[in-house]
Amino acid sequence: MTLELSQLTEHVRTMGEAVANRWRVQADLVKLAQQWLTDYGDRADELRARARSNRAAIPAEEALDMVHPLPELPEPYTAVGADGSQIQPDPHGAALYYVINVGSLVYRHGSGEAPEARSDAVLGFTEDDLYENNMPVAGNLLDVRRDLAEMRRLAEVCESSRASPTVALADGPITLWVLRDLPGDARQGKVTIHLDLMDRIRRAGGIVGGFISRPGSRDVTRLLHLAHVSSSNAKNDDLPNPLERLADRSVFARLPTGARSALFISSKEINEQYYAPRGHEAHFFFVNLAPADHEPVIARVEVPAWVTTDRAKLDTLHAVVVAQARITGNYPYVLARADELAYVSGRERAALESMVMSSLIKAGVRSAPSPKARYKRMTRQGF
Amino acid sequence: MNKKELQVGRVLEAGTRGFAIGCAVMQPDIPAFGSFVKAELEASSRVIYGLIYDVRVEDDPFVRQFIGANPPDEVVLDQRENRQVPIEVRILAVGCSEGEVIRHCLPSQPPVTLDWLYQCSEGEVRTFTRRFDYFRLILDAREAPSDELVAASVRAAAAARPGGEREAFLVDAGRELVRLLAGDPTRLEGVLQRLRA
Repeated sequence: MTLELSQLTEHVRTMGEAVANRWRVQADLVKLAQQWLTDYGDRADELRARARSNRAAIPAEEALDMVHPLPELPEPYTAVGADGSQIQPDPHGAALYYVINVGSLVYRHGSGEAPEARSDAVLGFTEDDLYENNMPVAGNLLDVRRDLAEMRRLAEVCESSRASPTVALADGPITLWVLRDLPGDARQGKVTIHLDLMDRIRRAGGIVGGFISRPGSRDVTRLLHLAHVSSSNAKNDDLPNPLERLADRSVFARLPTGARSALFISSKEINEQYYAPRGHEAHFFFVNLAPADHEPVIARVEVPAWVTTDRAKLDTLHAVVVAQARITGNYPYVLARADELAYVSGRERAALESMVMSSLIKAGVRSAPSPKARYKRMTRQGF
Repeated sequence: MNKKELQVGRVLEAGTRGFAIGCAVMQPDIPAFGSFVKAELEASSRVIYGLIYDVRVEDDPFVRQFIGANPPDEVVLDQRENRQVPIEVRILAVGCSEGEVIRHCLPSQPPVTLDWLYQCSEGEVRTFTRRFDYFRLILDAREAPSDELVAASVRAAAAARPGGEREAFLVDAGRELVRLLAGDPTRLEGVLQRLRA
């Protein structure tokens, strides 16, 4: 054991006390935030422009403290979840390559059929695969390819499943996260592909949503601070925000079981710049997934604008998210299974690396992991 | 029945005295304790015969969440048909054959990883149990519940015979057990009781 736990004993004890103190302080802040949500609930219209310029949650067309009870679950329904994992290119490996593995589960509720489980793996190894604008495809660039592969799978399922309402769930936001340091046209190109895929889902009659478990966003607390400032005499947006570190989910912890919050609009720049003009402007709400008499479990769900304007679609998504989450406890079943189907274990990684080395030897190439990789393997795995 | 219909699973680990196989949860022929099975060695014409002595469903934290939660049918089907949660089945080697000759002894070589394991047909069970020399291998096995296993295997072998032959077979098997366990009457009594159960 290289981690000397005895060295940390005192620090861990201190940390426990500090966390407990922070929770006590936070409990007071939660009360304050919930009070502000009630006090300024009817200020949506006057806050919209200010929220947009301050990158806070932008109120949609309803009161901020609106509560929507759990709608009736449509019978039957189809839910599909897609999630991906990747093996990053390893400069210390035998060869440079990456793998994207997308897991998906198509769950036809009420059909009595076994869900359709799939894992779709892609190996990237050509020069075109590995470099983009002279940048190695790794990190965010690979994440984007994985996100696009996930959305592509959701679109395919929606297009082939028209019999019942089909809810397509992604794990995370529905807007693509692309680093800004990409050239402008490269960034736009990727977002355009994403938007085209969302168009396909929309045309197929599907309902797409992004599920975020234990969201750490602070968009709504920032909005509440703006509301408070604008109602006071100070009128200064730069006043210290006591809720600055308070996650939005704690504000909505009082939602009744299964109920959702009002809709808000994401103030991300990419949302305004690319998603809104194409009709996919990302909205979000918070929902309490916990059954009655249980501690609240608050998740954030993102949906494109066209879902929010169709009440039937929005209600279906809301009901399906809660129904799916209650199968497993507090996380949609289709996403839990998609994650499982996408996961690449250390053993599988090692087996793939071994296959790659065999293939190279057969092709007459002598290649081996770098000395660093070899020694790491010897010390950690013993071979 | 053809060979494919009798497949139980593939070998996960093996030794001379026995081996373990994995199979999906919803195999049509769920392997049962005391069943006769065989592994055909790909590299030779040899067959290893064994008895299932342990069937274990691996612990799965994901499934634990559904216990008592009355999951929808689709979830139950997904867990049983799609998820790669194998049943692990342990087998005690009790014989081998090369060509027509069947020997009740430990195999000279174990099966290798991923070899298929098949459930023996009734005819194969009848042929294998014409003699009872394999009883000693079971009774000496420490890794298996040997008394239960020998009784279960005799019952399985009797069931593989026509109704009119079963009684005589059980009497012959009982006599062999009396001979082998004559020095341990308490154990003999227990085995015979299990045989009657």
